[in-house]
Amino acid sequence: MKRRTFLGGAMAVAVVGHGSSAFAQQPPIKIGMSMPQTGGLAGGGKASLLGIEIWRDDINAKGGLLGRKVELVVYDDKSSASETPAIYAKLVDVDKVDLLFAPYATVPTAPIMPFVKQRGLLLMGNFSFQVNSKVGHDMWFNNAPWGPADSWAASFLDLAQKAGGKNMALLTADQEFAQNLALTARDVAKKRNIPVVFDQVYPPNTVEFASIIRALKAAKPDIVYVASYPPDSAGILRAVNEIGIGDDVKIFGGGMVGLQFAAVMSNLGSLLNGVVNYNTWLPEKSMYFDGTKEFFDKYTKRAIEAKVDPLGYYLAPFGYAMGEMIAAAVNSTRSLDQKGIAKYLRENEHKTIVGPIAFAADGERKETATLQAQFRGVKDKDIEQFRSSGKQVILFPDKLKTGDLISPFEAARK
Amino acid sequence: MNKRSHSIAFWAGIAVFLVAVLSMTQIVRNEYPFFAGYVILQFIALAVAWTILGGYAGYVNFGTNAFFGVGVYTAVALFKATGAPLVVQIAAAAVVGMLLGFGVGLLTLRMRGIFFSIATIALAIIIETFVMNWRFVGGAAGIQLQRPPVMAPFDSYVKMLFFVQAVLVVIAVGIARYIQNSRMGRGLQALRDDELAAECTGVPTLKLKLVACMISGALMSAVGAPAAMYLQYADPSSAFNLTYSVSALAMSLIGGTAHWIGPVLGAILLGSTQQFLAVTISSEVNVLVLGIMLVLFVVGAPKGIIGLLRPRYRLRAGGKQ
Repeated sequence: MKRRTFLGGAMAVAVVGHGSSAFAQQPPIKIGMSMPQTGGLAGGGKASLLGIEIWRDDINAKGGLLGRKVELVVYDDKSSASETPAIYAKLVDVDKVDLLFAPYATVPTAPIMPFVKQRGLLLMGNFSFQVNSKVGHDMWFNNAPWGPADSWAASFLDLAQKAGGKNMALLTADQEFAQNLALTARDVAKKRNIPVVFDQVYPPNTVEFASIIRALKAAKPDIVYVASYPPDSAGILRAVNEIGIGDDVKIFGGGMVGLQFAAVMSNLGSLLNGVVNYNTWLPEKSMYFDGTKEFFDKYTKRAIEAKVDPLGYYLAPFGYAMGEMIAAAVNSTRSLDQKGIAKYLRENEHKTIVGPIAFAADGERKETATLQAQFRGVKDKDIEQFRSSGKQVILFPDKLKTGDLISPFEAARK
Repeated sequence: MNKRSHSIAFWAGIAVFLVAVLSMTQIVRNEYPFFAGYVILQFIALAVAWTILGGYAGYVNFGTNAFFGVGVYTAVALFKATGAPLVVQIAAAAVVGMLLGFGVGLLTLRMRGIFFSIATIALAIIIETFVMNWRFVGGAAGIQLQRPPVMAPFDSYVKMLFFVQAVLVVIAVGIARYIQNSRMGRGLQALRDDELAAECTGVPTLKLKLVACMISGALMSAVGAPAAMYLQYADPSSAFNLTYSVSALAMSLIGGTAHWIGPVLGAILLGSTQQFLAVTISSEVNVLVLGIMLVLFVVGAPKGIIGLLRPRYRLRAGGKQ
């Protein structure tokens, strides 16, 4: 027993010794973040973290940053806004990390925005929505493809108007993200003189949508804009399947959260057909850039072990891209000076595995790269089908387009 | 004489605590202890406030999050409308919390046991839904707030909030201790053990329950008020998070509910463990650790830490001599 302990110890020393020789003497570069690993946002948070970890392993295999090893310091924020202030204070004041990444999603990120602004720290955003609009921090850069606040609704309404849509129904969950989308949708509709004939906000945890869908159908809208969360997205599509939505509807969807995740998609199967919904990355021809395929090869293998979304399209590649941008900035400025890195990020266009990224003054994308894609030919109970192209045809943005909208919605469902 | 010397020792301890907190804000430069310490102090105050109704009177309140959230949103609404200073926000939150406590007392104190507890859960859901639809305070989307400049002698807002929360802890403990030793405390203890018998012997049970509800509610809402400025952000799902209810209850039970020191010990133990686990194990495991801790205490020490430490509290907690 003793000898085994000794041998184990000796081996560990040998392994550690060997591993660190590549990064001799230099202390590692520490990147700190909190990530939702429990609670409602955990599914997304874990996938995002895996993307960032793959980047860390890749960059370390290439010799690290400035010849130093990259190390991640990650804490669980339990998907809650009340946990993150203490965590980021610890990262900065106790762990003395060199750079900060934001947690996945808006709610945990919002409380740390004033903190980083006050301390003059660079923060790489991770899929939060318009979190800097009131704070106005000039060292904030969001990896999400959202772009200007109204572009999300605008792109959907562009498609709808082209298909002959003249009036709109809004169906939105009474939660943070959905309400942000609803606000911009109402604004854009008003600007374009599209009357809103139905505007229903439903409480979170609603499971039965039959009565709401009946009322919506009775309003005879051309455009149905839905902003919902995973359980309700499924409930809404089931109700639509049972009751139907009428032949007037040209386009249905827009902001349904959940239809990006493998488990929800395979669960809904053919009910998805015809729905036009937002996404961030899809396995379509136009979406492959340098390193994209290699990333997903690694992700697919590691996702099984990490027990996260087997497809990982929505968040993981953007976590990787966040790392790529930081690496480019650090290597170009040859330093960890946060002001210098922020200046570089603001002034240049960055090549990443999710395509080129350029930032506007508010730290969001200059142009939106949020996809609007239509589900086509989806079969029931098959995750693997979503790995092939053609299941989600990209309609917007034009640069990445891989097909045209099939309209009306009832025709597209077949 | 003995009682008087106890009192002197208590207030001397309080003075030492406040001086220590104040000097800590002046000496320690690293801000993390204040961020983490704020959360622990907040839970101490919440647990003590919970004990006034849940421990002394035996009415298990699951609506701590409702009172806490009401405190947060009173502060948010007041700050947005008038830019009121922190002290006014806290005072207003206490008043609103007290009114809410009165309402809850009237409506639900005629229900006992599990029915009362369920009604308090419903209360939290009703108020959260209301706030979600109140656009002035951001509605479901939440609201970001800009802190006003910090006041002397503090050099950072978090340090000031840490001190303010320490004062709230002192107020909560002072009130809880006063109630415990007063006629009211004995009345509450009587109604906890047998409400009918207490009523028959002349204890004004409804009045006592109402007052306990109002004091407990006012304290909980007052504790919630600075959270808006601590986070500089408020959203209904965080402000009305069930964690506040579960934690306040667990802390009181772990510490023991018969004496004001119980929730203080419980909150220090559980709050520090939570903060420690959040930055060490930091995964699903920390939820498990807390669950196991609660189970162990419920099974191994049903009267909480004070029941383990001082057998005489065990007698008092049982209400039998």
